[in-house]
Amino acid sequence: MIRVEKLTKIFRRPRTFGGPFGALRTLVTRQYDERTAVDDISFDIAEGEVVGYLGPNGAGKSTTVKMLTGILTPTSGVVEVAGRVPWRDRHANARAVGVVFGQRSQLWWDLPLVESLRLVGDLYDVPAARFTASMKRMRDLLGLDDFLATPVRQLSLGQRMRGDLAAAMLYEPPILYLDEPTVGLDVLAKQAVREFILDTNRAGRTTVLLTTHDLADVEALCKRIILIDKGRVLYDGGIEDLVGAYAPPRRLVVHTDDGSHTYELTEGLKVPDLLANHAVRDLSIEEPDLESVIKRIYAA
Amino acid sequence: MAELTRALRLYWRLQRAAMRGAMQYRLNTVIGILTGAVYQGSGFAFIWVIMHTFPSMAGWSLPQIAFLYGMRLTAHALCMLPLSSLIGIDWLVREGEFDRILLRPLNPLVQVMAKRMGVGQLGDLLVGVVLLAVAGGAAGIAWTPGLLAFCAAAVVGGALVEAAFFLALSSTALRMLDTFALRVFVDDVFSRFGSYPMSVFGGVTQWVLTFVLPVAFVAYVPATVVLGKAVVPLAYASPLLGVALFAVAYRIWAGQLRHYQSVGA
Amino acid sequence: MIRSLRGMARIGLRFQFAYRSEVVLTSLTLIAQVFLLRMVWTAVYGERRQAADLTLEQLLAYLTLANLQTFATMPVITRLAHFRIRTGTVFFDLARPVGYLPQMAAFQAGHTAGALLLLSPVVPVVLLVGSITSTSHALPYAVALALGYVIGLLMALLICLIGFWTMETGAISLLYRLVSQFFAGTMVPLSFFPGALGVLADALPFKYLGYVPAAIYVGRLSSAEIARALLVELAWIAALWALLWALWRLAHRRVVINGG
Repeated sequence: MIRVEKLTKIFRRPRTFGGPFGALRTLVTRQYDERTAVDDISFDIAEGEVVGYLGPNGAGKSTTVKMLTGILTPTSGVVEVAGRVPWRDRHANARAVGVVFGQRSQLWWDLPLVESLRLVGDLYDVPAARFTASMKRMRDLLGLDDFLATPVRQLSLGQRMRGDLAAAMLYEPPILYLDEPTVGLDVLAKQAVREFILDTNRAGRTTVLLTTHDLADVEALCKRIILIDKGRVLYDGGIEDLVGAYAPPRRLVVHTDDGSHTYELTEGLKVPDLLANHAVRDLSIEEPDLESVIKRIYAA
Repeated sequence: MAELTRALRLYWRLQRAAMRGAMQYRLNTVIGILTGAVYQGSGFAFIWVIMHTFPSMAGWSLPQIAFLYGMRLTAHALCMLPLSSLIGIDWLVREGEFDRILLRPLNPLVQVMAKRMGVGQLGDLLVGVVLLAVAGGAAGIAWTPGLLAFCAAAVVGGALVEAAFFLALSSTALRMLDTFALRVFVDDVFSRFGSYPMSVFGGVTQWVLTFVLPVAFVAYVPATVVLGKAVVPLAYASPLLGVALFAVAYRIWAGQLRHYQSVGA
Repeated sequence: MIRSLRGMARIGLRFQFAYRSEVVLTSLTLIAQVFLLRMVWTAVYGERRQAADLTLEQLLAYLTLANLQTFATMPVITRLAHFRIRTGTVFFDLARPVGYLPQMAAFQAGHTAGALLLLSPVVPVVLLVGSITSTSHALPYAVALALGYVIGLLMALLICLIGFWTMETGAISLLYRLVSQFFAGTMVPLSFFPGALGVLADALPFKYLGYVPAAIYVGRLSSAEIARALLVELAWIAALWALLWALWRLAHRRVVINGG
């Protein structure tokens, strides 16, 4: 469904000048500043997969997503989404993908939510009958009925995000890009967003690419993750394999009268000696989680 | 053709939505229209006060200059009514709104144009049309259907000349260049100098305003035709210049669009 | 108190410098304006020596001066107050131990000082594009201009206060700028204004921002007229001061009620 091969994006900006004639000099300058945001990335995503695309801030996640959606033109390499080159065929690609930015709404600020959804329906040429059916599904799945008539600027963040999800899936695109869809939401709203994503993926075989900093999202939704940093792929594969391969050793915590001591459970640890040296009151074992794994990879 | 009617239909849908949104701030809308009218009205008041003392300016009478002023103003309003949201393009790019525009299956320029209604320009249009109507009667023009058609074409052509410069300069914002102040300046030159007979300036200035920044073609050249003052027959072709310049400007916009660099990483 | 006002003035000055690349283009706008006026007036004068008691040289010197004056003294605080009332940051201004209006006045003074500094390299160009004559009334000119500046400042403060009622002064301050510039006579000396328009322009205080000082400079006013003009300026300052004070008391009460 999505094919990325040796994809590279170098940003080239005219050098900006200060001073009284700065703006004019910037306008005519031939000097450029260059920065490589995405550096030789390759991956394939099959139909129906839900993939977590992870990396620290500035790793190149958004730049990749922007190339997948056709907003940016790659400097070199191949992008193919549903058999099309997104930046060359932007309109056709637009109809095939839904995009949700957690930080930025696509809804019309001053209008009731239902009007925004109607406008989206018009923009994507959704026929009336399909629109009605699709709306009904969204209303049921996302519980939109309570706030359909409310102007978007008066919606809570959780309601707004549900509205944005509806707008992105209204024309039933086969691919959904989610950029931090749960940022700033409370526990219940996060749960609602995750359930909607799972349902869309199960019911319509929608392919989902998810970027997030919330690893609970990833654990709840994705079987596979792609981990990038400084524009390069660090890991591409299943979550279990990642934890298996990169996990720090499990840790043994020994609780004594004068506090608790932590030991890494490695081959060399001699547990009997340890127990002999401490007045042990209790023992516990800490399992590594995804967060500790990823912290370790970033740090390396 | 089907694509064009679809674009027009969607433009109208989006523009109506923007208007419905703006109507929630009704007082602002009214003051905006009023300010537009007062701004342009005070420009004409200057001419009127001068010509109260002096009967003619470079051989033009008050009704003739009023006609020129009306033509320039109507052209300006026709240019800015649909394009006024381009004023905010720097903001659209900086805030990442332009990303969303590129994610939708509709021409990005049409989407930008439909972002906002140019309320102040309604005031311009009002003053411009009133001046054209009054001065068109008072300036002693021998109206024929042909001349009337030329006049309409000239106003549209003038609007396109101004729109071409506005669009070409605005498109630099897609590459994160800050040309806001420059755009304001160019717009100011069009407004300030476009409403006078070019012979007032003479020499180098007249040449620059005709061939470098073709302010003269927005209203002055076609007005000489309507008022029977045309010196070169080529003046009759002036409306075509707007079409040509706008076509070039659209190419520039499309070129800058290919080099669009979104904000952030 | 003096220290914090000086601080405010410094911010005003820095504010002006922060936008210095825009200042280059607005200076070009000023030059274009003076050039346009020169061309238009030269064209209408034609062969005439004099009109409304002004020779063309006097008129061009008048226009150059009047436009430089308005450009340098343009009020910025109406825009600032609009922004700060809308975003609610005005409450920080009100919480300071110095009065709101003195803060605004200090900011404007600093901003004007910045404008004068930035404008100084442009002045020769403007004088070249326009024209200037020497004057024998330098002192009365300076006094009239200084008093006129105070009048302009007081009126700008009044506009700022209106924002406490309407919450929206963007369009109002633009309208004010257009009207004040027109009646200040920056494009046409007031002596050209016909009939009722002339009477109106003569009665309004805007003429002290442009026409009166510039007319004193070019020797258009007699000594008696100058003395009278200066007295009327003082009267305007007193009247506007009183009005401002009364309005401030109302506005302040309003803010307290809103905030509580």
